Amino acid sequence: MNAVQEQPSVIRSYYEKLAQGKLLAVTCKSCGTHTFAPTGCCERCGSWEVEPVELSGEATLLYATHNLSPACHPRFEKIAPYVYGHLRLKEGPIVQAIILGVEPKPAALRELFERGPVPAVAETLQMDDLPVLAFRIRA
Amino acid sequence: MRNQLKERVAISGVGCSRFGDLLRTPDLKGLSIQELTARAVKEALDDAGLTGQDVDAVFAGNAMVHSSQVPATYSQLSKWTGTQFKAGVHFEAQCSTTNIGAILAAMSIAAGVYDTVLVFGLETTRTKVKGHSPYEREPISHQQTWLWTDMAVNQAYAVAQGYDIFSTYNGLVSLGYCRKYGVSIEDFDRSMYELCRTRRFHGSLNPKANIQETLEARAARAGYSDPYEYWQSDEHNPFVAWPSRLLSLVTTADGASAMVLTRADLARGGKSQPVEVKGFGVSYSDLPWYGEDPTYWEFDRRAVDAAFDMAGIKAADIDYLHTHDCSHISSICTAETIGYLEPGKGLQAAREGRLRFDGDRPMSTHGGRHAFGHAWGASAGSDTYEAVLQMRGQAGARQIPKAPEVSVIHTHGYAMIGAVLVLGSM
Repeated sequence: MNAVQEQPSVIRSYYEKLAQGKLLAVTCKSCGTHTFAPTGCCERCGSWEVEPVELSGEATLLYATHNLSPACHPRFEKIAPYVYGHLRLKEGPIVQAIILGVEPKPAALRELFERGPVPAVAETLQMDDLPVLAFRIRA
Repeated sequence: MRNQLKERVAISGVGCSRFGDLLRTPDLKGLSIQELTARAVKEALDDAGLTGQDVDAVFAGNAMVHSSQVPATYSQLSKWTGTQFKAGVHFEAQCSTTNIGAILAAMSIAAGVYDTVLVFGLETTRTKVKGHSPYEREPISHQQTWLWTDMAVNQAYAVAQGYDIFSTYNGLVSLGYCRKYGVSIEDFDRSMYELCRTRRFHGSLNPKANIQETLEARAARAGYSDPYEYWQSDEHNPFVAWPSRLLSLVTTADGASAMVLTRADLARGGKSQPVEVKGFGVSYSDLPWYGEDPTYWEFDRRAVDAAFDMAGIKAADIDYLHTHDCSHISSICTAETIGYLEPGKGLQAAREGRLRFDGDRPMSTHGGRHAFGHAWGASAGSDTYEAVLQMRGQAGARQIPKAPEVSVIHTHGYAMIGAVLVLGSM
């Protein structure tokens, strides 16, 4: 009996790349838009002609707030409360993710807010069962 | 897209249960989900002067099947609503469910398929089925509620990687608003207090609201003579996503709502004063819901534009507005997008009491998602219920002095479907 060949999954690829510290997106061959996180088509024009691309992980953190403990998802119970932010990636896409390098407290978040947008860089946060995307504020 | 109804359609009956907790709220305690739903349906059918056998089709809405456990809602509820043998379907658009049902009903009537459609929505976000009991229920934990609710949010990437509703819907939007309009954190906090005060005041005037205690009374009960001191206390009103506090959020509820839609010519001879569905618009978006500017949500813009185009109205024509207010700051941003409030001046309008039922920009007069409470798939119907009561002059102690002639109801169905319904007097 032949083994059943596993079909490629872009979601699995994303997390496998993330575990290696790489950020996977897809780029549209028609309009050039990056779709991040990646799917099988272009989020802007709907074209199915997309190809994988690795993003730099460079970002600008625009806003940062925090969440609650217990977290809404059990995966994050151990690290809640954590800082959660709104970022623009160097390549254009807007993304929201866990932020490292600032305390989830009003005073620290206020100081950060008053500084305005700050540079941040992608970092993989290894949870018990999944690598997840985070961004660390640059010193 | 032609974006027009080929026949005029009206809402001829509305119904809504009290929102609260099936384990402890007066009027609700001990009810099964079937009986809860039947109450709202009976009220809507009675209001229209019909029975379940008079309608042609039933659109049955329920979003969080995990707690309600009544999929195939059309047939499971058919003998509780007298609608056996009708056409029907179970559908969901999360927190826009019931108004999306109204939109689907309007389209099916305007297309000439059905004359009269019953739409209902039911939801239990406070309680869930206990074990395998057919009637016993038990509370749902905070984490369980959001784990189930967030199944409507990007499961591939966002929820899996730490997405948090309070951050995305409240904290980040608040910061975006403050930076864009130069609002200080102190002014923001005071404005959110005033907005909560208004919503809870409305709830105190509504016998169907989940919370019927004003913010002032709640503060006094906790021993505070100054309600703003209560508002700022970490114990009673912690930051859930700085600078957003707990009392600027949704409160969960069990509840049901219903409405009857029919051809406008049939509605005229009906039992109660009908209200016309003048137009609607729908647009959805996956995360991120906003770009660099957290106060501007493109899908809302598109839904509003489509609805106004179909209805032939502009912002200045709106007498009563409900915007989805699961997040109080988001509700202000949407009202500014719609043009009901001046961009950047929404918080000031809240502080000045202009959003009260007796103000010049009344909003969420039933108490909104915070005071009336939020039963996901039933809530949009509760907003429409309130708008219809206001337009008929039947809203009692919270009646807008001059009954609205044009009402706009906006809802966010997680995550996200913007649904905008324009109602007009006939």
